[in-house]
Amino acid sequence: MITLSDFLFLLQGVPVTLSISLLSFALGFIIGIPIAVVRQIAPLELTVVAEGYEKVMRGIPVLVFMLFLHFGLAGIVPIFKDSFISSVVALGLRSGAYQSQIFRGAINSVGRDQMRAAISLGMTRTQAFRHIILPQAFIVALPGLGSEIALLIKDSSYSFVLGVLDLTKYSDILRKATKSFIIPYLTAAILYILMTFPIANYLDRWGSRLKTKYGLR
Amino acid sequence: MADVVLACEGLKKAYGDLMVLKGINFKIEKGQTKVIIGPSGSGKSTFLRVIGLLEPPTDGKVFFEGQDVYSSDMDLNMVRAKIGFVFQEPSLFRHLTALDNVKIGLKVVLGMSEEEATEKAMETLRLVHLEEWAHHYPAQLSGGQQQRVGIARALAMDPDILLFDEPTASLDIELTWEVIDVMKELAEREVTMLVVTHEIGFAKEVADEILFMDDGKFLEWGPPEKVLRNPSTPRAREFLSRLLGGV
Repeated sequence: MITLSDFLFLLQGVPVTLSISLLSFALGFIIGIPIAVVRQIAPLELTVVAEGYEKVMRGIPVLVFMLFLHFGLAGIVPIFKDSFISSVVALGLRSGAYQSQIFRGAINSVGRDQMRAAISLGMTRTQAFRHIILPQAFIVALPGLGSEIALLIKDSSYSFVLGVLDLTKYSDILRKATKSFIIPYLTAAILYILMTFPIANYLDRWGSRLKTKYGLR
Repeated sequence: MADVVLACEGLKKAYGDLMVLKGINFKIEKGQTKVIIGPSGSGKSTFLRVIGLLEPPTDGKVFFEGQDVYSSDMDLNMVRAKIGFVFQEPSLFRHLTALDNVKIGLKVVLGMSEEEATEKAMETLRLVHLEEWAHHYPAQLSGGQQQRVGIARALAMDPDILLFDEPTASLDIELTWEVIDVMKELAEREVTMLVVTHEIGFAKEVADEILFMDDGKFLEWGPPEKVLRNPSTPRAREFLSRLLGGV
């Protein structure tokens, strides 16, 4: 069994893990929505850029991206000397590509009749996206966004390689201090599950409830 | 001519090689109700979408209150705001209550304040007899109620004309009546309406003119009694005898 003091020691990593995950999720959200919308309505050149961004971000292992920012790009962009920031940016930029795909699927599911009705009232396409399409797409996207948060919580553990004091790093420190190889990692694993499962589950159920309420497909 | 609300000349619409509208001339004056009938696939809905500025024509001109819409520097969105559209499938915004469905155009397009928009929207919902359903979401309304909210949504914008694309085609008979009743009330209030429908009772009662469309053209047009009783083309005769059940 893990002692209470060891457990409390490990818990110190939880806020850091959650901060990295939620900040990178927010960054991905801010990037993902415009890319999804651009791929729907923008002229072809911009669409190609957006598509290229998605392809590149999905093709790079996030650990390589973090190492590149922190050890490579930090020479030119000093802010990446901060390992926490490098982790958030790497995870966030990749998450933008995934979230853009989630939103694109959700936007497509909203249906052309909604856009047509908005246009018939005299809305511009931008107004239609903002007031009609995106609010509905967001509801459809909720389960996907839940999985994305869960993925970010797990992948935030890569930041340990850059020296960030997250849950994974604390469990590794505890392993060295206690010479116990099983308990620290096992406890960390359980803590990860306790973070990912409720969030993903909550967004999933929230999404289903709203979908039923609004009769969305 | 001053009172012509919507008109078109030589209107053509093609999708790829398929020519759907084959050169249509049409006009409707303020206060008139015109009804378009015709077999499915004849181009009725396409005509409504093109003259309602939801799709650009392949060729020809559309005039709104005398102005050539596509060759002047008119703001298309502002013209669309003056043309109300009621669709075949009730296309209410599903994440908004009935009231908010009516309000959204008033706020976003016409720039009304929250209070102004609420007042105007409630007033319009009253016209379609739905004020007590204002705070329900579309999923909680019947098809007929949804369609009436759709009418209110278009009507609240104070459009110069309302276009209806088979508004009762997806409804069963009793729900059809409640929608048709609202449309008759609008006709009595001299709202300008262009309606694609096969509700012949409605057409007989309120239409100033019935137009029969076939294969991308109007084959004949005139007052209801003439077109319904005494069609001059074989195609219209055949269609009407089926529609009216062998009258």
